[in-house]
Amino acid sequence: MYRIIFRTLLAPRSSSVNVYDSCVLAAKCDKTVFRVTNKCGVKTFSTSSSSLCEKKNNQDQKTQAVKEGDQAEVVKLKEEPAVLKADDGDATEQQTDVKTEQVASKQPAKTKNDAAKSGKESLLNLLGAMKVEVTNKRKLKNLKAKQSYESVTQYKSKAAPMESTISMYQKATGDDSSQSETLDPDLVAAASSAASTLPNRSQAESELLRQLRQHEAITEAQKKGDINNLGVIIAEMKVGKNPNRQNAWPADQIRFDDDGRGYTHYRGITSELSGVRKRRNLLLGKRLNIFTSAADEDGIEPAAAAKPTLWDMDFANQLSLSTNQMPRNGFEEMIQWTKEGKLWQYPVNNEAGLEEEAKVPFHEHIFLEKHLEEGFPREGPVRHFMELVVTGLSRNPYLTVQQKKEHISWFRDYFHQKEEVLKEADVYLE
Amino acid sequence: MLFCLKRSLNEALKSCFSLSNRSREAVLEALASTVSRDPTAYPYQFQDDPYLSPRTSTEFKLFSLSQESGRSAAKYIVNNNPKLFTKDFAEPHIPCLMPETVSLRLEEVSEEALKERITLRKVTAAVDMYDQLLQAGTTVSMETTHSLLDLICLYSDRDPVQDGEPQTDDAEFGEELKKRKARVRRASDFLKFTWKENNNAERIFNLLPERDTRCYSALIRGMVKHGAYAKAFSMYTDMLNNRLTADVHIFNALISAAPDVRDKFNERWDLVAELLNQMNQQKVRPDLLTFNSVLKALRRCGFLAKTQALHTLNEMKALGIAPSLASYDHILAVFYKSASSAQNNTDLLQEVIAELEGRIFTCQDPDDVLFFSSAMRICLDSKDLELGYKIQSLVDVGENWRLLGDSFQQSIYYGRFFNLLCMMEHIDVVLKWYKQIIPSLYYPNPQGMRDLLQALDTDSRLDLLPSIWKDIKTLGHDNKPDLVEELLSLMAREKHSSEVQESFAACALDVKSVFDLRPSIEWSAASLSHITTLLLRANKTRQAWEMLQLFKSRNRVPSEGLLNNFLSVCHSDGDSQKAVQLVQLSAAFCLPTTWRLAKRALAEFELTEEQRAILSELETAGEPSD
Repeated sequence: MYRIIFRTLLAPRSSSVNVYDSCVLAAKCDKTVFRVTNKCGVKTFSTSSSSLCEKKNNQDQKTQAVKEGDQAEVVKLKEEPAVLKADDGDATEQQTDVKTEQVASKQPAKTKNDAAKSGKESLLNLLGAMKVEVTNKRKLKNLKAKQSYESVTQYKSKAAPMESTISMYQKATGDDSSQSETLDPDLVAAASSAASTLPNRSQAESELLRQLRQHEAITEAQKKGDINNLGVIIAEMKVGKNPNRQNAWPADQIRFDDDGRGYTHYRGITSELSGVRKRRNLLLGKRLNIFTSAADEDGIEPAAAAKPTLWDMDFANQLSLSTNQMPRNGFEEMIQWTKEGKLWQYPVNNEAGLEEEAKVPFHEHIFLEKHLEEGFPREGPVRHFMELVVTGLSRNPYLTVQQKKEHISWFRDYFHQKEEVLKEADVYLE
Repeated sequence: MLFCLKRSLNEALKSCFSLSNRSREAVLEALASTVSRDPTAYPYQFQDDPYLSPRTSTEFKLFSLSQESGRSAAKYIVNNNPKLFTKDFAEPHIPCLMPETVSLRLEEVSEEALKERITLRKVTAAVDMYDQLLQAGTTVSMETTHSLLDLICLYSDRDPVQDGEPQTDDAEFGEELKKRKARVRRASDFLKFTWKENNNAERIFNLLPERDTRCYSALIRGMVKHGAYAKAFSMYTDMLNNRLTADVHIFNALISAAPDVRDKFNERWDLVAELLNQMNQQKVRPDLLTFNSVLKALRRCGFLAKTQALHTLNEMKALGIAPSLASYDHILAVFYKSASSAQNNTDLLQEVIAELEGRIFTCQDPDDVLFFSSAMRICLDSKDLELGYKIQSLVDVGENWRLLGDSFQQSIYYGRFFNLLCMMEHIDVVLKWYKQIIPSLYYPNPQGMRDLLQALDTDSRLDLLPSIWKDIKTLGHDNKPDLVEELLSLMAREKHSSEVQESFAACALDVKSVFDLRPSIEWSAASLSHITTLLLRANKTRQAWEMLQLFKSRNRVPSEGLLNNFLSVCHSDGDSQKAVQLVQLSAAFCLPTTWRLAKRALAEFELTEEQRAILSELETAGEPSD
C-alpha cells in the first residue's frame, strides 16, 4: 500500500497538469486500501494513516492547499448520497475492480525507485491520504464513521457476521451531516461495541478512539484551508465523478498507460460493452408466434412411452458416429468397457454378478432343517443321515438355495421309493 | 505436483462418494477427470503399439482405420462361427463378448419369424415372409407391420450392409457406408440410393386394410430420406384427406424437404411456415429437430433467412426448447454466408459465444459437430483473435471437445484456429499453441506450415527455422518443393549471426540429403542457390562447390549473384584455383556474365600464368563486342 501511495507522488512531480493523473491513481490506491483493510485488519491501515498524519503535521503549509480540496469534496458528497448507497452494497464488485486495478497499477509502481520526499511529494502524499478518506466516506457517508468502519472490518476479519457491519453502517449514517469537531457519542459507542468483540477489549477500544481523534484533527485542519489551488480543485472534481467508475475506469486507465497495448485492451472492452448493448437487439427479438408456449401439453408425445423404433436407433447411431468417441486415457477406456459390461464395476465388489443371489437372506442357506419336516422320518438312521446332509449343505457356498432344496427333495423321493426296503429292515419309522 | 494430483484426486473421489445414487462409472469418471491431456503424447488409441504411432494425417487415418477394420473382422469371425466360440470363461457372464445371432433361426412361416427378420434387419427376407404370411391368410399385428414398414423405408427396400459382413455387393454400398462414416450424412449422399416408384413399402402400404399415422410416418420419412420429396408431400396430403393427424417426425421430415419442392425463396419460407402452422393446429408439439430443420431450410431461403432465423430462435426459446449447437451453426451460416464478402462484423457470433460460454453440450443433432469449425471460420475471416480464443475455451469445457466431430472435422477446426493464431498472434504465443496442439491434435497441412513460417518471419524469429524444418520432415511435408523452397528462401534472405548461420547450414545440408533421397522431386534453381548461399555463409566451401555441381546434373542455371558470392568467398579463402574453376563452370553454363566474373578474378586474385591465360581467354570470349 505504501508503494501505491508513493507512486502517486511520482507521477505529478514534473507538471501541475498531471495532478489529475495523480488523483486517478489515488483513486486506484484507495480501493487497494479498502482491500487491505479487509485482508489484514486494521493494523496496516491505521499505521499508514497515522504516518500520513505525521506528514501533515510536519508540512502544515502544504496542507493548506489541500484543505479546500476537501471542502469541495464534501460538497460533492452531499450531492450524491444516492449513489453512495449503491456503493455500500457492492463491496464484492469493488474487490474485483481492485484486482484489475492492482494489475494496472503495477507498472507505475515499478517506475518508482525511492521514497525521497520533497515538499511537493508530501503534499501529494496527503492527497493520497485524503483519497483514502474519500472512499471510506463514500462507503459510510460520514467521515467519522470511517474509523468505526475500520473496526468493523477488523471485527469481520476475526470471523464475524455481516449483519453487525450493516447495523454499524446505519448507526454511523445517522450523523451524516454533522461534521462535528468532537467525537460523536454514537461513534464512540460503535467503536467500543466493535472493540468488545475483540479479545483485548480495552486496548482495542482505545486504539479505535485514538484513530478517530486523529482523523478528526485532519479533517478540521483541512477544512480551514482556502480555495486557491486550481489544480487540486480540478483533481477533486474528477474524483467526484468516480461513483460511476465502473465505466470510467478502462478509459482513464488506458489514457495513462505507457504500454501501447493498452489501446487494444481498450478496444476489447468497448467492443464487449457494445456487444452487451446489442445483444438485446439481436438475439432477443420477435418470435414467429406460431406456437403457444406450453399451452397444449396434453395430447402430445404418446410415442414417448413406446419402445424405440428403428428410426430412433438409426438416429442414435448417427449421433454417435458424428461425435468423437475415442477415449483419451486409460480411465476413459475403462469407462467404455464398463458400459459395455466387459469390466468389473468400481468400486470392486466380490459379489458382482450375484445380484439375484443377494436377494436371498443368509438363513435360507444355513438353516435347512425345516426342509426335513415333511417326508422324512423324525428319528432313526435316515433322519440321522439327512441331518448330516443338511449340515453339509449349509456349509456349501457354491450352491444356490434352490439347488439345495432340490438336493434335499431328491433324497426325499429316493427314500420314499425305497420305503418298502427300509421298512423291512426296520429302519424307516413312521 | 504430486501433492496437487493427490488433492484433485481426493476432491474428485469425495464428490463421487458423496453422491448417494452414483452410477457404475462414477469412480472411473472421477479418476478420469484428474488426467489432463498430454500434448507430447500420441492419441491414446495408438499408445499400445509404438510401431503404429502416426506422424502424419495420412498415417493417422490409415492406422485408425486398420484398427477399426481389425475389430470388425474379429467380430465378423465370431458372429459367423458361433460354434467355435461357445466357451464362456467370464464370471459373471459378459454378454457382449459372446457371438451375436446374425443368421436366421426360425424357418417356419409365422409372425415370430417375421419379427426375427425385422430385428436382424433382413429387408428382403422380411418382405418375403410378410408376403407368405398374407398368402397363408394370417393377419399380421399392427405393431409388426409398423416395424416392417420402418425397416423397408429406412433402407429404401434394400438390404443394409451388416456389421462386419464382407462387401460382396456392388461397390455402391461400401461407398455409402464410407461416406456415412466420414462425415455427417446429407441428403445428397443418398441420391443414387433413391426411393423407387412402387417399391415394397408402397406395395405393402397399399395392401393394408387400415392405415394409421405411424404407417404414413414411416413412408414419409423414408421418402424424404431417400430424396422423393414431392412424393412425400403428396403422401402427406393423402394422409390429411384420410382425416389423420401427423406426428412430429412427419413434420420434421417435410420441413427439411421444403426447400427442395419450391424454387423461390419466399415460396420456400411460406411452405415451412404453413407446415409449422399446421403443426400447431394439429396440436403437435415441435421438438429441437423441428426447429433445426427450419433453420437448416432457412439456409436456402436467401434474403428471408436473416430475420426469420432469429424469429425461429426466439420461438424455440419461448417454447422452452434449448437450441443445440446445430441451431447456432445454421444461424451463423445464414448470417455469414460467404467467406469472400468482407464481413468484419462479428457481433452475432460474439453474442452466440457469450450465450454459450461455459456450457457443456451433448450431441443432440448430427449437425452439432459442424458448429465449432464454422464458428472458427468466421473468426478467421474477420481476423478476430479474441473470439477465436473464446471458442477454443468453449471447446475445452467439459467434454465439448467430443463435439468437434471426427478427426477430419477436428483437423479443419484446428487448422483454422492455427491459421488465425499465425496471422494475429505474437510468435511466442503461436509457438506455445504449436507445441500444444501439434501433432497431438492436429497435423498441419503445407499451408499451415507456410502460415507458421510467415509468422516467424513477421516477428523475426527466423533462428527457429531449423527446428521447424525438423517438424516439417516429421510431418511428411518434406516432399512439397514449394514449402521447402519457401523455408530455404527465408533462411537465405539475409545474413544472421554466425551460430545461426551455422545451424542454417546444417539444416540446408539436411534438406539436401532429403532431396537426394527423393530423386523424383524437381529441384528449382532458387532452392539450389539458396542452399549454396547458406553453405557459403557458413564457410562450407566444399559442400557449396558440390552444390554447384548439382546445378549441372539437375539442368539448372545458377544466378550471377550466387557466383559472385562464391568468388568473394574464394577470395577471402585465398583459393585462386577454385576461383578459376568457378569461372570455368560459369562458362560451361554459358552465362552471359562470365566475362565479368573472369575480369573480377583477374583483378582480385594472385594467379599463375596458366590461370591468367585461361581467365583472360574467357574474359575476351564473353565480353560484348561494343
